[in-house]
Amino acid sequence: MAMLEVRDLSVRFNTPDGTVSAVNNVSLSLEKGETLGIVGESGSGKSQFAFALMGLLAKNGRASGSVKFEGKDILNAPREVINPIRAQKIAMVFQDPMTSLNPYMRVSDQMAEVLTYHRGMSHRDAVAESVRMLDAVKIPDAKGRARLYPHEFSGGMRQRVMIAMSLLCRPGLLIADEPTTALDVTVQAQIMNLLADLQRDFGMATILITHDLGVVAGFCREVLVLYGGTVMEKSPTDPLFAAPSHPYTRGLLAAIPRVDQIGDELSSIPGSPPNMTQAPKGCPFAPRCGFSAEDCLDHLDPLTEFAPDRWRACNRKVEELA
Amino acid sequence: MITYILKRLAIAVPTLLFLIIVSFLLMHAAPGGPFTQERQVPAAVLANLNAKYGLDQPLWRQLASYIWGIVAHFDFGPSFIYKDRTVNEIIAQGFPVTLTYGTISFVVAVITGVGLGVAAAIYQNSWLDYLAVGISIGAQVLPNFVMAPLLLLTFTWWLGWLPGGGWEGGQWQYMVMPVIALATSYMASIARLTRASMLEVLTSNHIRTARAKGLPESRVILKHALKPALLPVLSYLGPAFVSMITGSVVVDFFFSTGGIGKSFVDSALNRDYAVMLGITILVGALTIAFNLVVDILYAWIDPKIRY
Amino acid sequence: MVNQASTMPAAALTGKEVKGRSPWVDARRRFMRNKASVGGLIALILIGFIALFGDAIAQWSNEEIDFNVMGQALQLGGPSISNGHYFGTDDLGRDLYSRTLQGTRVSLMVGIVGAFIAVVVGTLYGAISGYVGGRTDQIMMRIVDILIAVPFMFVVILLLVMFGRSLFMLFFGIGMISWLNMARIVRGQTLSLKHKEFVEAAEATGVAPLTIILRHIVPNLLGIVAVYATLLVPEMILLESFISFLGLGVQEPLTSLGALISEGASTIYYGTIWQLGYPLLFFVITLFSFFFVGDGLRDAFDPKDR
Repeated sequence: MAMLEVRDLSVRFNTPDGTVSAVNNVSLSLEKGETLGIVGESGSGKSQFAFALMGLLAKNGRASGSVKFEGKDILNAPREVINPIRAQKIAMVFQDPMTSLNPYMRVSDQMAEVLTYHRGMSHRDAVAESVRMLDAVKIPDAKGRARLYPHEFSGGMRQRVMIAMSLLCRPGLLIADEPTTALDVTVQAQIMNLLADLQRDFGMATILITHDLGVVAGFCREVLVLYGGTVMEKSPTDPLFAAPSHPYTRGLLAAIPRVDQIGDELSSIPGSPPNMTQAPKGCPFAPRCGFSAEDCLDHLDPLTEFAPDRWRACNRKVEELA
Repeated sequence: MITYILKRLAIAVPTLLFLIIVSFLLMHAAPGGPFTQERQVPAAVLANLNAKYGLDQPLWRQLASYIWGIVAHFDFGPSFIYKDRTVNEIIAQGFPVTLTYGTISFVVAVITGVGLGVAAAIYQNSWLDYLAVGISIGAQVLPNFVMAPLLLLTFTWWLGWLPGGGWEGGQWQYMVMPVIALATSYMASIARLTRASMLEVLTSNHIRTARAKGLPESRVILKHALKPALLPVLSYLGPAFVSMITGSVVVDFFFSTGGIGKSFVDSALNRDYAVMLGITILVGALTIAFNLVVDILYAWIDPKIRY
Repeated sequence: MVNQASTMPAAALTGKEVKGRSPWVDARRRFMRNKASVGGLIALILIGFIALFGDAIAQWSNEEIDFNVMGQALQLGGPSISNGHYFGTDDLGRDLYSRTLQGTRVSLMVGIVGAFIAVVVGTLYGAISGYVGGRTDQIMMRIVDILIAVPFMFVVILLLVMFGRSLFMLFFGIGMISWLNMARIVRGQTLSLKHKEFVEAAEATGVAPLTIILRHIVPNLLGIVAVYATLLVPEMILLESFISFLGLGVQEPLTSLGALISEGASTIYYGTIWQLGYPLLFFVITLFSFFFVGDGLRDAFDPKDR
């Protein structure tokens, strides 16, 4: 049995404008130590998917389906069940390190409380362990810096603190939600390298959520492409890049600027992500898709395996996408 | 931190001076002196009086000696009406009373207001939330001068549980109604503020992080949410405290508590400028001191302010 | 590499897209969804209508003394249709209905004028302070800090005692206090607007600072200013009623809700409960309505949880 089993996970939000379907029937499984990338434009539901796993949805959000972690059902689990799993088994790194750390607490204190609470360590030991972890994420002068407040760190350093904090209990699964989006380009590479090193050293499974296919390429063994809360394509990374099977994935790949690109115009996918208040009946990508036909607007073929380990949801056959 | 306190002090002192000077000049700009009243005073007597109170001196000298008196001896000078009483004596009579019920009201308002606000935010949209919102909305339109007669009517006239007025050295029976009358509307405002800011903080990213860390909800609230949620409440406390001291005027009127509010109204009706001035300055000084404490608390909670 | 995306048919673009809505339309929709606020707005319109036109059905003016009930307020002064005192009379035998209407007018006027002063002075002061920034900003905000620390209620009373009671003095005193918080709020808002692209674009094209403030900053502040102005009105009404309660407000025969309430409160032990009841009812409904409308506006303009 896989470490993480997600079956038909859907997330809905009740808003004054109507019900928003953020995630529709997403299924996936993840083995120990594996790396999975979840890719999609902003608003594709990828963050809400992660929040649903952790039970962190906003109050007006409802998740349905099932999530099993090490055989235990954790979706919508009560606090007594989910709290010991959070941070200990599944940890999360958030998008914006600026606001995700508590601005009113010393870094050492907010890190140490994870250990004092989950591991029953004394405050002194917990701080010492936190400093060791800050060292491990390559924060210079970790001992001195631990006493500072988050606003006294740079963006990249803050994200390192965030990562160190998530690793304190050596979780089996790390969910990184756009860990580099809020950072400078040069810092992004450093953080991704650090995450790759830590993933190798600690051997934890990792779900990397990003809008940037380029980031996924170097990090994840498998990729899941989300659009409008629906899985468009699921595939091991290399064949996906070599031969994208879905019009949306192709659009995403084409939109990555390349140095060797001939011509002067940067490519983009026309249109914008769908308004999610109406639950999509057909393929959510149909209105922006160059290959769409009448049938795409009223139904979408379910995710099917068209090659070993490669799955796609599209009414057109791969051969038709010439 | 010390530099910060010094900086705040550096603002507080000129504020106080500004207050003294403006009030003093206002008093002297008033049409007619303190002794030109309905009853005719012979010119010689007037000159004598003016000399006694130093009113024949040039304005700047009067101002200087007035300020010097306050700074050096904490002396607000003689009353203009009561011949053998100083402003200090009049203040010393009422001020402890006002300070007592004012402080108790303040503490009651803060504790119940914050408690109610936090509870309402945590259990949003529950009956507790609706009750808290209901109370705070209701209390907002019942200012102390409406509360006071309603309380008297209920507890003294109808139920006969509490004495209708007096102070008696501050026994609790005499304190209950003044405190409720003073505290209610501020408790309501504090509860509303706390609830709103708590709700906002609870949706912020760092609270999501705290929850993702698997901390129990009680620790998330107390350790992570409460401090930032109380910051806007803290900045409301300064004005609230002033309004409570001002509310002394009403409390003293209805409950005959004999606080500083009574002295103020009496002096206003008697045109006893010296007493009015003294009380205004005293309350101003109290306000400034209180704001200083609030500022320091603020800096203590919010690490970004310190440097 | 074939640039696939740009060869997608234009017809694909005509699908369902998110329809653009102006922020004002959006705010109005959110406001109209808030039942308490809409109720408050209707109540306010009603109160305003009664205050302005209710005199048409009054049978007594607010000054006339009905000598039939004078001295017998408890027995004869109660609310009645037959003798034309719909709300009863006050202790002197004056018609409470027309006095309440007249008091409501004064209270509303005080509230609105106070809020208006706050809007004009506070907005300009705050916008200038925030926009100019630097030392000017520091000094301007320091002045506000100093003024806020002054116990204004005492100063207002001092002013009213020394210069005599008048509507002008009342407005002057209230106006002095009301703009301070508004200036702070507006300044904070301006600071965040200052670095928005449209302001920088205006600066880059050489628009004069004052024009930028008036044309680009102030219009963007209108939402928040409207919210706080609405919440200021009841505060001003409370302030005035407090002053009136002390007997330092408007002068007889003019009255205000605060003065009526204090009169009613002082006679409550004789059993003439309507003398407190009707003014209090108008007072409470007016304040409630303003608070509800203000809250609704705040939620509408400043949506925290959508």
